[in-house]
Amino acid sequence: MVIVKRKQLTLGERLYLPEIVRGLSITVRKMFAKRATRQYPEEPLVTTAVTRGQPRLAMNPDQTLRCVSCGMCEAACPAYAITIDAHEVEREIEREPEHFEIDMLRCILCGFCEEACPKEAIWMSDELELADYTRASLVYKLDRLVRPVSQLQGRIDYIEEINRRWNN
Amino acid sequence: MTRIRLNGKEIDADKDRPLIAAALANGVDVPHYCYHSGLTPVGSCRMCQVEVTEGERPARVVAACRTPVSEGMQVETQTPAAQAARRECLEFLLKNHPLDCAICDKAGECQLQDYTYAEGQSEGLSAEPRRKLDKRRSLGEVILLDQERCILCSRCVRFFEEVEGQAQLTIAGRGANSTIQTFAGRDLSGNYQGNVADLCPVGALTLKSFRFQARVWNLTKRASTCGECSRGCAISVEVLRQGQVKRIRPRYEALVNRWWMCDTGRFAFEGATLSGRLEGAQLRGYSGLEDCSTSEALAAVATGFAVHTNHVFIASPWLTVEEGRDLVELAQAVGAVLRMVSPEESGLADKILNTGDPCPNRRGLADVGIESASAPECLQLCTGAETATLVGERVVNLVGREALSEHDGKSRLFVFDTQALDAARVAVQVGVASWVERSGTWVNADGHESPIAAARSAPAGVCGTQGLLDDLRALVATCAPGSVSR
Repeated sequence: MVIVKRKQLTLGERLYLPEIVRGLSITVRKMFAKRATRQYPEEPLVTTAVTRGQPRLAMNPDQTLRCVSCGMCEAACPAYAITIDAHEVEREIEREPEHFEIDMLRCILCGFCEEACPKEAIWMSDELELADYTRASLVYKLDRLVRPVSQLQGRIDYIEEINRRWNN
Repeated sequence: MTRIRLNGKEIDADKDRPLIAAALANGVDVPHYCYHSGLTPVGSCRMCQVEVTEGERPARVVAACRTPVSEGMQVETQTPAAQAARRECLEFLLKNHPLDCAICDKAGECQLQDYTYAEGQSEGLSAEPRRKLDKRRSLGEVILLDQERCILCSRCVRFFEEVEGQAQLTIAGRGANSTIQTFAGRDLSGNYQGNVADLCPVGALTLKSFRFQARVWNLTKRASTCGECSRGCAISVEVLRQGQVKRIRPRYEALVNRWWMCDTGRFAFEGATLSGRLEGAQLRGYSGLEDCSTSEALAAVATGFAVHTNHVFIASPWLTVEEGRDLVELAQAVGAVLRMVSPEESGLADKILNTGDPCPNRRGLADVGIESASAPECLQLCTGAETATLVGERVVNLVGREALSEHDGKSRLFVFDTQALDAARVAVQVGVASWVERSGTWVNADGHESPIAAARSAPAGVCGTQGLLDDLRALVATCAPGSVSR
């Protein structure tokens, strides 16, 4: 059996009203303080270059993919989210992904793919939202992964800066 | 046998073979590109340099592939002098190598890549640009040459001279302008071109059919046996994502094929993965062939055996020894005539490996008591009997697809093949697994037993032949002749 010893209330506490006033004063003060919460769907998340969102593939200004489908991200991915099939193209870099799939339901946004990529082709974008009605539609194919380099530039600059600091 | 001391350990070395062979045989990894156990050593890459001390003479650095072993020789592979010699050679080899591992099909099984990680330095000292050469030079149907990646080890040149017997490649040009070329720009010919892609220690010679098909570390490799001729070369079947067979490569087997295999076998998987597979079972109903379950189909076959007399079994030469044994038992239980259909010579016979007999398990099936018969003889047997059961992959094609569909005999056909036969006489047909989807044993023309292994799972609804035969045997035992009314 556990005996709980109750705290003896002081006179001020037993008078009741001073405590009510103290409590209400906290409530009123917080009404005017800076809010800690956000109205999420209406107010989107603030993202920065540090935000590690969903991986995206960079496309050069001349509409060519940077990715050569070397399979490094596929090998590095701890969640087995990436599947790549290559094919031959007539450019100087002979190889390009024919299919590039990232299963966003599997992706854990760890950023290993970005780190493994030897061609600076895959970057963690600031896109975070992931909602749909079917599982199949959340396996992203090339058409939903490719972004112009300009859109990813913030992240690219940030990673380059980190690498520079690390190497010196 | 000669006693030598290798890295401080006394070992026995074969005195007719170079020093590198002794080192590799004793588990000491000496880097090498131009040396290959199946070819004459030439010492062109200089990567196998080790430090050797003989008697009173001072230690010297020599190429292990061109140095014969001698009694009491002391060999050190990891001294600073030997390591420095190798590292400097490696840098020269990498001088013009494009380092495009990201797009190279060899990446992951490339010796240049491996030794660069193990021994090399991460940055080169050379300031000059790399030489620019043809990156996509076609050498015929099979091989594509990337001249930039070539390190001029001459393995491919020696392969054609020594193994295939006819020189087809050469190193043309001098010094820095040397490149691998065919004579007068002709395409490569012969049935053994594919081997040079395996031999090439870098990604210079690659298979056109494997170009950009898969990264090699994603391939699941299963040891198996080639089914394109009665030589039965040891192979490794390489499968991507449990589904597609991407390539077949020879596996070293001293008694059969050593390091090589012919292109007929190498590219045979294209037939093995052929579309148009018969998946599941079909039974003749009122409106033609209708899909049914495998057990219904087998019950119909067993009933057919019980109701009719005069049965014929035709076996495919691709059946394994185990399946052959089961088929013999079943034929005895039913009282059927059993023959293996024996196709004509393929005309591909040569002095190297291909025997020209396209039956991989002729000897094994003969050993379990199955006689062979030519295709016309089998067709005659089939049309003459009341029921004809065709078992195993490609058996319909070997007996004659057209002849079987057109024949006007009264026999019912029970077909167990990989592909469907659309013929009026087909009563039951069941899809079976092909040789890349089954396991068992084949016996080659010389009596060498070798395993075949399921490299990938069969398509949905397709059963292994052995399981089908076992089920059928059990059913036949329960419905003996006469127990079912006609």
